[in-house]
Amino acid sequence: MYEAVHAYPDGRATVARLAKRAATCGYEGIVVRNHGDAQASYDADRVAEAYGIDVVVGIEIRADAPGRASGLIGNYRSKRTVVCVHGGELNRFAVEQPQVDVLTHPMDDGDVNHVLAKTAAENGVHVEFNFGRVLGSDGGQRVQAIQGLRKLRELVEQYDTPYVVSADVDSHLALRAPRELLALGETIGFDRETIETGLRAWGEIATRNRQRQSGSVLEPGVWIEPSRSDG
Amino acid sequence: MKHLPKHLRPRWRYLAVGLESWTDADVGRRAFQRELWFATQNLVGDAGSAELDSSVLHFSFENGDGEAVIRVRRGEVERLRAVLATVTAVDGQPIGLSVRGVSGTVRACEEKYIRRPQVQIEERTVAFADTARSAVTRNDRVDVDLPAGRVGATALDIRDN
Repeated sequence: MYEAVHAYPDGRATVARLAKRAATCGYEGIVVRNHGDAQASYDADRVAEAYGIDVVVGIEIRADAPGRASGLIGNYRSKRTVVCVHGGELNRFAVEQPQVDVLTHPMDDGDVNHVLAKTAAENGVHVEFNFGRVLGSDGGQRVQAIQGLRKLRELVEQYDTPYVVSADVDSHLALRAPRELLALGETIGFDRETIETGLRAWGEIATRNRQRQSGSVLEPGVWIEPSRSDG
Repeated sequence: MKHLPKHLRPRWRYLAVGLESWTDADVGRRAFQRELWFATQNLVGDAGSAELDSSVLHFSFENGDGEAVIRVRRGEVERLRAVLATVTAVDGQPIGLSVRGVSGTVRACEEKYIRRPQVQIEERTVAFADTARSAVTRNDRVDVDLPAGRVGATALDIRDN
């Protein structure tokens, strides 16, 4: 299972510290999804080797207008393994872009309806169940966050929209183990399988995109299999 | 008052929990217990709190690292896990928390999961992002002081000078 994190300078811990902690918690990998204006400098392979955990190079594109976001997606698609769009006002735009992997926290300062859920499913854009506000707030804010997740869950079930799950952490101290997230998900009305699928989905996106970017893919649906030397 | 017969006594499970914070954080048993009860009430309400019936038995915290054993009714372990996920700060100090394991007795829990590891604490100046900064190191972990606040790093991120 994977967790998607904001590392320094977007968060309060470096990629290495987050990776170290995530490995202790039992994650198989982390996706670094710093916002475009707060990129981390790190050597993913070196960190991965040091702590025995997969480190996926990602980005969360945040822009005021769809036009600007579109340019950024074009820029980063070939450079990053996982491309996310900061949800909210850009929800509609993001679900219409097949190049986008994940629409993050769509229910924070935004909304998703049946049209968007359906479009996301058609374009293979994953929507994120973001547990950040359930973990980090209480009272009315938490109630709203749980209500938002419920609405999103019902739409996702209806239209078979792909999804990811994340606690959206920005420091090693905020990171929680997969088992804890499974338990939390169950408490707020999710199936355990849903949470597990959502945490695994990050890894599946990363594997798929790495294969696409490896140069062996000639066009969609056509790729070169590595030759078997033992045959 | 007479003790309940053994088969009528409540059944418990004991969770070993590892705690982490910044090295100057001061977290006491009472504060942690209070935070746990608040978190329980916020997430599962009064009814849930009564069902979980959780309490902190063993607690130690020193120099930003700690361990605790938490008692909960058998069958409510998963809900306590959910509650523990939402404990993000104690007395306003951010806290990292992970469940190490669950046992049927306090003794087994402490023997298996409470280990009081040896941590070497050292204050020194490190090169972080090409600038000299003061930092506190705990083995591989490095907490760097930046003007905007503290940042968690590891030995991979710094070069000694």
